[in-house]
Order: sequence, then C-alpha cells, then structure tokens
Amino acid sequence: MIDQFAFLIAEGFKSFYRNKLASFLCVITIFINFSILGSLFVVGYNTNSLVDFFRSKYSFEVFLVDSVDQNIYLEFVEQLSESTIISSTEIIDKEKSASIFKEEFGEDVVEMLGYNPLPLSIKVFINEENFDFNQVDLLIESINSYDFVDEIEYRGKYIDDVEDRINLAVFLFLVFVIAIIFLSYQIISNTVNLSMTNRRDFIDILKYNGASGLFIKIPFYIESILYSVLGSVVSFLFVKYFFISFNNYFGLNIKMDDYLWLWIIGFSIFIGLYSSNQSMKRNLNE
Amino acid sequence: MVDFKNISYSYSKESGIFDINLEVKDGEFCFLVGPTGSGKTSLLKMIYFDILPSVGELDVLGFNSKKTKKNKIHKLRKKIGVIFQDYKLLQQRTVYENIALPLHINGLGRKKIKDNVEEALELADLLDCQNKYPNQLSGGEQQRVCIARAIVKNPELILADEPTGNLDPAAAHKILKILEQINKEGTTVIMATHNYKLISDRDHRIIELKSGSLVSL
Repeated sequence: MIDQFAFLIAEGFKSFYRNKLASFLCVITIFINFSILGSLFVVGYNTNSLVDFFRSKYSFEVFLVDSVDQNIYLEFVEQLSESTIISSTEIIDKEKSASIFKEEFGEDVVEMLGYNPLPLSIKVFINEENFDFNQVDLLIESINSYDFVDEIEYRGKYIDDVEDRINLAVFLFLVFVIAIIFLSYQIISNTVNLSMTNRRDFIDILKYNGASGLFIKIPFYIESILYSVLGSVVSFLFVKYFFISFNNYFGLNIKMDDYLWLWIIGFSIFIGLYSSNQSMKRNLNE
Repeated sequence: MVDFKNISYSYSKESGIFDINLEVKDGEFCFLVGPTGSGKTSLLKMIYFDILPSVGELDVLGFNSKKTKKNKIHKLRKKIGVIFQDYKLLQQRTVYENIALPLHINGLGRKKIKDNVEEALELADLLDCQNKYPNQLSGGEQQRVCIARAIVKNPELILADEPTGNLDPAAAHKILKILEQINKEGTTVIMATHNYKLISDRDHRIIELKSGSLVSL
C-alpha cells in the first residue's frame, strides 16, 4: 500500500516535470491570479474596518425648543438610552453650546448679544453592532414627533452614501474575484487536460491493466496540487511583502488577516482539485 | 471462463460482430482468425469490457456484461493480460518499469515487484534488456516486453491481438512459443491472428470470423 502510494506520488511529480513548460506557465498564472486575489482579500479586510470606522462615528443631534422643561428632556434622554440601537447620549446644554461656539468661532455669543440664543441639544450615538439605517430612520421619525423637538441634525445620508459606494466597490471586487477564480479554474483545467492528452498512452495502459478510476486520477490530482501550492505560496509571499513595504513607504496601517496564507493556499488547492477533477471527468468519460 | 451468448455489437450496419455464440474453457489455447475487419479485435475488446455488447450477454471470469457496473470493470481487467499488435509501451520508461506497471496497480511491494518482473523477463528472454528503453529494442523484443507485461501479474486469461502482425517469421515463432509455454502453465490464451501459415502446424482450437460472424469453431 505504501509502495503503491509512493508510486502514485512519484507519478504526479513526473507528470509535473514532463510538462515543464505547461506546468511553469500554469504556476505563473496561478501566482498572478492569486496575487490579485490576495490583494483583494486584504483590501476587502480593510474595507470592513473602514465601514466600522464610519459607523462608529455615526451620530445625530436633536435640538430642543427653548421652553422645554428640564424634567421632560431628562426623561426623554433616559428613554433614548433604553433603545437597543443607541449606544450613548450626550446632553449639550446652552452653556456648553456657547463654549463650543466660542471654540469654533472665537466669539463669545452671550457677551456679544447679551443673551444666549443657542439651543439645548442632545447628541445621540448609534450602536455599531446590527447597524441598520432603516431603524435609525424610524427612530429619527419618532423623535421628530415630540413637541419639544425643534430640529434634528442628521448626517446619516452622507454616511449612507459612503457606505453605498463602499458596497459598490465590494461588489465590483466580488465580480473581479469570481472572474479570477474562473480564470484559474480554466487554466488549471486546461493544463491537466493537456497533461492527460500527452499521457493518453499511460492512461490507456493503466486502464487495460485494471487500474481503478481513482488510481488513474491520483497522479493528476497531485500534479494540480503542485501547481496550486507553488503558485499560491509565491503569491502569498508577494502579497505579504508588498503590503508590508506599502505600509512602510506610505506610513499606513493596512492590516492583514492572520490566516491570509491559509485562505490563499487553501483556496488555490480547492480550485486546483475541483478543476482537475472536472477535466478528468471529461477525459475519462465518467 | 469466457461465454458469449448471442452477442452483437455494430459500429454501422455492415461492420461489427453479429450473433456470436462462443465458449472458451479454462486452460484453452485458441486462435481467433479471419481477415482484417472481420471483428477479431472487437471480440477481444469485448472480453475485457472495453466495448460492451448491444445485444446478448457475455460472461468473463465471473463478470457479466449486463450486471457489472462501470466502476467495477477494473477488477475484471486485473485478471486479464492484454498483448497489443502495436505494443503500447511507454517510451519514456525502461523495459523494467514498463513490465512493473501492472504490479504497481495491483499494489505489490517493491521486493515482490522485483521478483515477479525478473521472472517475466526471464520467460520472455529479456534479462539483458531490462534497463533499455523501448525505442532501443527491435520489434520482436518490444513485443516480448508487451508479453512480459501481460504475464507479470499472473493473469487467468491472456488476450493477444495480432501479436505477430509486425514481426518477421522467426520472431513470430518465438512469440508463439512463449505464449504456448504460458498456456502450459495453466493460463488461458486467446490469440487473434491472420497469419494462417504461422498457426497451421499448431494443434490448437481455431475460431474463424468473417464479416463479424463466426464461420467455424
């Protein structure tokens, strides 16, 4: 059994070696494809962080009418704090508003006008987890229905737009990723096809001597695993050192998934095995 | 051993094999004769289930053509050694490696493979050629490699498809003698040929085919 397995592995390596040019081109193509794919993984990974960043900054401000009673608005704030979609609230009273105004415009509005015209407001921060714009819209709508609410400053639409664009970019990435996966599939499948055509005699002799389908396939599986592993290991190293250099050069902090190597190599092997299996099915009339 | 029951298989209206009833018993040596295109190769291909009959039923070494699933055919082929007119040797492998191939398929260990291959080399008178490549051998020697590859796994049945077709008379006689020796040791041999001169002085059963039908048994 061990001798038989050793024979099959050796056959896989021989097949890889005998189709030197096709094997080399296949490895290079997998390297290019998976370098692009790996880079997209990294970009995708950081896109999520970008979305999370925007969401963490998501807030709106509720301005109240001057005549509002303190008890009413304190009760209102307490009600807001109980909502699951709100992470925290901050009361900005008239004095604080005046000091913010002074900080931003350099003028003391109370001194200038003789009274404080700035309204009392409540800043509401939204929970990042299970973030849903529809729920936020409903919340704003319900807050707006209170008599003591004068106005709501709502920048959700800008963030919504940014997220839409990020989502579009992610969608385009996905389309690109699918195209690359398909290309890799085709290339490995065609290379195994070529290898099987070149070794038609070998396959026939195996068949006539009682080799099972699996016995015939194993060397070709090994061959495709070799293409995948070689191409993807080089592409992983390329992606890793490319982003390390990129971060160092531009002083950025683009993060990489700790399991990026596993994603790239594992995915490449999966595509390799699947495409070679499809190719073998065609060649062996299964 | 081999039992054809009303077997037919057609490539077109006029070519194929038609309504064959034939039985080959254990330990027999049969010649399958007939002109080119008479259906000899088709008949042999049927025995190792490379083609399956469109009509009738075929039993080979306990495998039935109707009941055997496609993924079980390899089990039958393990019991059969096939010799081809065009040798079908792997040019990038030595004689030794070519002969050892069926034993790797059968999962034998290295030591057992070495012993069996040496035995087959000796029987086929190829001990001096074991490290040579097929293209360094004569036609007769290549055919003997093909025979050695067929017998190395000790099959129950040997199918030889025109094994002397490309050989001179002396080499052809040598091949025939080797096959007869294998048969003496108990292996059933079915040999297709159109070389009547070669087999005329042999005392074996002759099965004659003409245009895909049996003429004589």
